Amino acid sequence: MLAETHLFGFFALAIKNLLRRLVRTILTTIGVALAVAVAVSLAGFVNGYKTAISRSIDLLGFQVMVMAKGCPYEAATMMLKGGTGLLYLPMSTFDQVSTDKSVSAITPVFIGVAEKEQTSIREDAASSFIVVSGINTQSFTEMKPWLTFQSGEGFKGGRWFSDGETREVVLGYEVAEYEQRKVGDTIELSITPAGALAPKSHEFNVVGILARTGTQDDGTVFMPLARAQEIFNRPDQITLVGAKLREFSTAAIRQFEERWLSLPEVQIVGLQQVKSTLLSLVGTAQIMIGAVAAIAIIVAIIGVVNTILMSVYERTGEIGIMKAIGARRSDIFELIWYETLALCIGGGITGVVIAFLGSGIIEYLLRRLIDVGVQGDLVSISPAIMGLSVGSTVIIGFFAGLYPAWRASSMRPLEAIRSGE
Amino acid sequence: MAEIDSGITEPLISVTGVTKHYLRGSETVRAVDGVDLSLYPGEMVAIVGPSGSGKTTLVNTLACLDTPTTGSVRVNGVETRDMSEDELVSVRRGFFGFVFQKFYLLPTLTVAENVELPLLFLRRPASRRSTISLLESLGLSSRTDHLPRELSGGQMQRVAIARALIVKPRVLIADEPTGSLDRGTGEGIFDLFEDLCQQGLTIIVTTHNLALAERAHRMITLEDGKIAREESKGSQRS
Repeated sequence: MLAETHLFGFFALAIKNLLRRLVRTILTTIGVALAVAVAVSLAGFVNGYKTAISRSIDLLGFQVMVMAKGCPYEAATMMLKGGTGLLYLPMSTFDQVSTDKSVSAITPVFIGVAEKEQTSIREDAASSFIVVSGINTQSFTEMKPWLTFQSGEGFKGGRWFSDGETREVVLGYEVAEYEQRKVGDTIELSITPAGALAPKSHEFNVVGILARTGTQDDGTVFMPLARAQEIFNRPDQITLVGAKLREFSTAAIRQFEERWLSLPEVQIVGLQQVKSTLLSLVGTAQIMIGAVAAIAIIVAIIGVVNTILMSVYERTGEIGIMKAIGARRSDIFELIWYETLALCIGGGITGVVIAFLGSGIIEYLLRRLIDVGVQGDLVSISPAIMGLSVGSTVIIGFFAGLYPAWRASSMRPLEAIRSGE
Repeated sequence: MAEIDSGITEPLISVTGVTKHYLRGSETVRAVDGVDLSLYPGEMVAIVGPSGSGKTTLVNTLACLDTPTTGSVRVNGVETRDMSEDELVSVRRGFFGFVFQKFYLLPTLTVAENVELPLLFLRRPASRRSTISLLESLGLSSRTDHLPRELSGGQMQRVAIARALIVKPRVLIADEPTGSLDRGTGEGIFDLFEDLCQQGLTIIVTTHNLALAERAHRMITLEDGKIAREESKGSQRS
């Protein structure tokens, strides 16, 4: 039996018609599926990347940073990745800013780049540089209270170093992973001090390994501020001053900025400012990405219309017979329209599944091919994106089916039967 | 010729002065040219004539598949001449059953699904039991779930007849139903038509086979779109 109700009966008939030319149907469905997969993946990437940027910036712990004057994008990159091509401030800047009454917490940070000694078992998986952060543990952890040490076998007894220590370091989660280090192990870093031509090797004891944070801290080696300044040969220099204000508002940040911009070679970077700068960059890319996805979908829809039109021409005689045995114009319209919808819905769902299953691969490839600069999931395919994609495909299928359905339903039964002979 | 009950007065279909003209290039083809005809319930009418005599055009007009150029076509008392395509569908849905020379079964549907297809368009619920019962009466009970390509020509034509009968039509239109069949199978189809007629169905059948046509209650011979002869049981008029 075709079906108990005419709706399911028509749908069953439409599916049987599509299965008649199985290869053509599969190819057309694949076309739609790939277009939808591209659209969903790109939307998932934009979504994930925005979320990752926001999360990374939120987890910096700072509301404002005082850093050496330079490109704001470079400043943003430094915030997210630890940065290269670093500029330094005198330590006195920290002392001066510390006196600001609007500041509730403040910490100096020294950032340097060390070369890795070739001891990792995963050389291919990591860059050959490691970010080194010189910090003041008390003020730094006050700024980032969520930092905790890994527990379990090999990580027991994890702790921060004391500020006067010279041989102790704490590793971020990813550094420990890549370098296969546990608490009690040693790690060797090759550092070129300022003014020197050749790097100098230093061995440190690992006294703690941080739990994963999903931020740039995962890829950082922490050591006492004074020790970092010493081995990089930058005494009394820091890279940035991170601060939290008592009142976090645009006006408060502006006032803070006005007070300290008078210092030579200093720029004040607000967290919201960085976030909006980066998100606006992503937004620009989003337009291009949207255009690519739209073109892919238009091409797929043309394929669907072509397939259904071919199917209508091939079945002209049958359509005539269906009309002769009682089908109204609306019945034929409905039937052909269901075929188009079935192709689009099938392709849409398959595309979403492909995108969902392939998001891990895409993320892996993106991280391999480009320096994305943020931690966390890069491709985030939310239920809203999936629902919107399938919904859009249904709407597009609705319109794509109109022309073939109209062509088929407009045939007069006798002419259709004759031309089908 | 078969006997028909006497005392029938109201025609199911009546056509008066019907013409159907086509343009073929600059030439006007008079496919049907001034035909008057009435068809009564329970009779089998055979329309014969050479190719191009207008048989198919006439039955298509009678069946509301086509509209006449001039003249009147009344189906069950309703004038159909000026009806739109959708209005003609309303008239013929469930009233006519169609059987064609080339069967026109849908190749993707099984025998039972092909038979039930008109019910889908008429929004009537299909009952597999009544479908099987109908197929049994046509000797197709073992073929219910077969696809058309697995059937012989005679079997396919009987499936087409079952498809026409499933809606319990008042009139069965069969255009050259035996044209693609061998002689024995063609006679079997006409045996079936005689049985259906006896059950009260009106049948209009076109054929080239005079021997089969003579089994109808009336035989109408068309020539050049006009009725050349009309023979009924025991009488003949030109």
